[in-house]
Amino acid sequence: MTVKIEVVAGGIPHTKIMVAGLLASLVCLYLSYLNVVTKTEMFSFFGGLAVVAALLWGSHTIKVLCSYGIGTGVPSAGMIAFGSGVMGMLLATKFGIAAPIVALVLAAIIGLIIGYLSNDVLNMKIPTMVKSLTELAIVGAFTLMGFAVLMTGSFTFANLMSGSVTFLGQVMPSFQVSFIGGSLIATAFMLGAIAIQHPFNACLGPGWTQDRMLILTAECGFLSMIVAAFMSFALITSGSALISLIVALVGWGYTYSEYMKLGKRDAAAWLDSKPIPDVEEH
Amino acid sequence: MESIVFGIGITALTGALATVAGAAEDTESNIGSQGDPNSQVQLAPQMGYLHRIFNKAVAGEPPAYGLWCALGAGLAWAFMAMQINAVLAIVLGCVLAVFVQGVYATTAYVGRTASLKKFGQPVYVDILKSMTTVTMAHAFVAIFCTVTLCYLMNAALGHPFPLPLLGLLWGIALGAAGSAVGNPYYGKERQYQNQKFGAGVPIAQSGNIVRYAEAGERNSLDNGFFTAKLGGPASGVCFGLIVFLELWRTVIFERISAGWGAIIVGILIILIFTVIDRYIEVWARKTYGPYAAPVKEASS
Amino acid sequence: MTAVAAKPAAGGAMNPTAMAIGLVLMLVIIGACWKIAPGLGLMALIGMIIGGVLIGFGTHFVPVGGAPAAMGQAPGIATGVPMLAAGAGLAGLFGGAWAAEQGLVVAFVTGAVGGGLMMAITCMMVSFIYVFGMGIPAASGKVKVDPITGDTQPEFKSQGTEGHGLPFTSFVGGVIGGLLAGGGGTLIYLMLLDLYKATLPGMMNATESQIMPIAISAAGIFAVGMFLVNAVLTAYNITGTIEGPHDPKFKRWPRAVVASAVASALCGFVAILIVVM
Repeated sequence: MTVKIEVVAGGIPHTKIMVAGLLASLVCLYLSYLNVVTKTEMFSFFGGLAVVAALLWGSHTIKVLCSYGIGTGVPSAGMIAFGSGVMGMLLATKFGIAAPIVALVLAAIIGLIIGYLSNDVLNMKIPTMVKSLTELAIVGAFTLMGFAVLMTGSFTFANLMSGSVTFLGQVMPSFQVSFIGGSLIATAFMLGAIAIQHPFNACLGPGWTQDRMLILTAECGFLSMIVAAFMSFALITSGSALISLIVALVGWGYTYSEYMKLGKRDAAAWLDSKPIPDVEEH
Repeated sequence: MESIVFGIGITALTGALATVAGAAEDTESNIGSQGDPNSQVQLAPQMGYLHRIFNKAVAGEPPAYGLWCALGAGLAWAFMAMQINAVLAIVLGCVLAVFVQGVYATTAYVGRTASLKKFGQPVYVDILKSMTTVTMAHAFVAIFCTVTLCYLMNAALGHPFPLPLLGLLWGIALGAAGSAVGNPYYGKERQYQNQKFGAGVPIAQSGNIVRYAEAGERNSLDNGFFTAKLGGPASGVCFGLIVFLELWRTVIFERISAGWGAIIVGILIILIFTVIDRYIEVWARKTYGPYAAPVKEASS
Repeated sequence: MTAVAAKPAAGGAMNPTAMAIGLVLMLVIIGACWKIAPGLGLMALIGMIIGGVLIGFGTHFVPVGGAPAAMGQAPGIATGVPMLAAGAGLAGLFGGAWAAEQGLVVAFVTGAVGGGLMMAITCMMVSFIYVFGMGIPAASGKVKVDPITGDTQPEFKSQGTEGHGLPFTSFVGGVIGGLLAGGGGTLIYLMLLDLYKATLPGMMNATESQIMPIAISAAGIFAVGMFLVNAVLTAYNITGTIEGPHDPKFKRWPRAVVASAVASALCGFVAILIVVM
């Protein structure tokens, strides 16, 4: 009944991916601060790049965690990551420029406690449970913050709460047309929750390869970025949103074709309109 | 009075939309082998049964539909905030959401199948092309209906939640209803047509799915063709009833004794469904009878 | 839900030390909340803990068979535990949020009934498809006699399976689970909404009607997030599948209740800090 998951060794070690993902997404989040420095919204696309970096790290964490067989589906790990990440992220936005660092610390605390609860109170006894859930909570918070930057151009509380609406040629402030007020955060939540679990869910099996999974993660990240860029047209200037969209489309096109190449490399055969091959006794 | 009549009309419309959405959702997920029956499609090659069935393991149906509907609703919301007409905004939002769904479907099929290299399962490009487009078409119907009913709840019935949050809620509920009702019919009845009717699949037979059709080799379109006749409509009725009864009891009875009217009607509906369920169970026990003679216990 | 259903790692044993540490942690959080935000904040936190516990406890009742259920190899509903509970609970949240202005009790009960209604319809349709679509009567694999109706089960179990369909106890369990999950999710939402309605106008220099979209939206997404955390923790507790209240795994509920209470206290405290800091 069960599909055996084999822990495949080799490839880039997890610690390296973790450090790289953490640093890259932090740097990208801070690069979006150029928006404030230059008083434009042109650098919003760095939020999307932060999402991709965080997801790369997160999907590998899910691989480490789910290799143990946690008793329920892979998607649930993505859900708990974002469920715990969303709290830390929103509280962190109140700290202005320190927001990404605060999100890191807060999400780590929340993830640590939830990991302890799962591992010890629920008696799951999985060696990497605490560490993995801590990482996932941070990834969840960073991904949501990245989407927030991508859609609104900023990671401060006030900007996420209020937007502006043009009515009969007049620009009026509005709480309804905003990242939180319009609940775009709900869409960002699901975009991230699926993108983080899909790469491992789609690539699991005895023929799992690390490079194929990671390029798929990047593809999922850029794909989410495309639609998020479409949504950002409502909240930031069209030119800035267009830059995000172009960056996302280029990144997606490249990673998608790379992924298909790697799929072709790893597949047993790549057939077009051919019957089931004859093998052994069946 | 007028507002109640208006409310009933909207309720009926949302119920109808939900029914279509449920039916399309189940057919889509069966063509893609999404949800629980996916485990058998994944297992078959490991048991030596190579097949030509689409294996679209994006996620379970509820989270996947949570995303598609939240995405369609979020994009529709954004387009409406850009002063685009509501109908056009919903259509555009759903088209983009379906694009995302299609891309996820292709990467899931290629990824899962490539990981089965050890067992010799090939990637079929023709499957990828023909099945993905069909699932996208069904997914569009499901997403469009769900986002539209969310829009009606928000704009016409005055539910406080914004559109994307409603899309998330009803998307997950749609996936939950569709997978609960539709999965057994596809998983047991269609994948294991070679097993006895009227009995569960013996665990020893896991992985031995039907791979040949009336003529040639079975692909997932044959599966959608089969489940669209009962599993799909049943899922549609399930989701339609959920949405319709939930709105109906609120719209009509909410004003009776400060909200308690709707609660009492809700409890009555639950009791009615309990009686129906019990009737079905007893009917099955009487009509089909036991598989083996009852085991006599010492105490009885 | 997916092909992953490897060996259940968790046993049935309790870990009293860890549970005690968890409870102490919860008390510390409540104490901190009392220090920072007495009154409305503390009340909201306690409401959210109750809501979280209701979700965690309620999810145990929901009969879910996972992948084997789709092949008629195991009893229960063929989908994942967290997502089915989420489907029911969020349908309840929808109703509860709609009735929010009619007061706490009415909204809470409306949310609970909404969740129960969703599960009642779904379970009835599952029985329908098993009986009329596949010709399979319901049979439990874990008990010999249905505890509610007294129907004998083993002879209705087809060969080579662990049972199939939804026996009546599972149906009742599903409805109870829906009621608790729907009520719990609604309670979390109502508590946060009240708190945000009271504090946000001062924070944002705006009137209450202006900040309503933000209050509703933020409370809604937090309710969804906390719901998913609690439901997934419970799914971990029962390792993915359960038949209903008669399943031996149901006895593991104290662990999940403690875990849900601590997790809800933690998440709720962070959600409160957003407006009081």
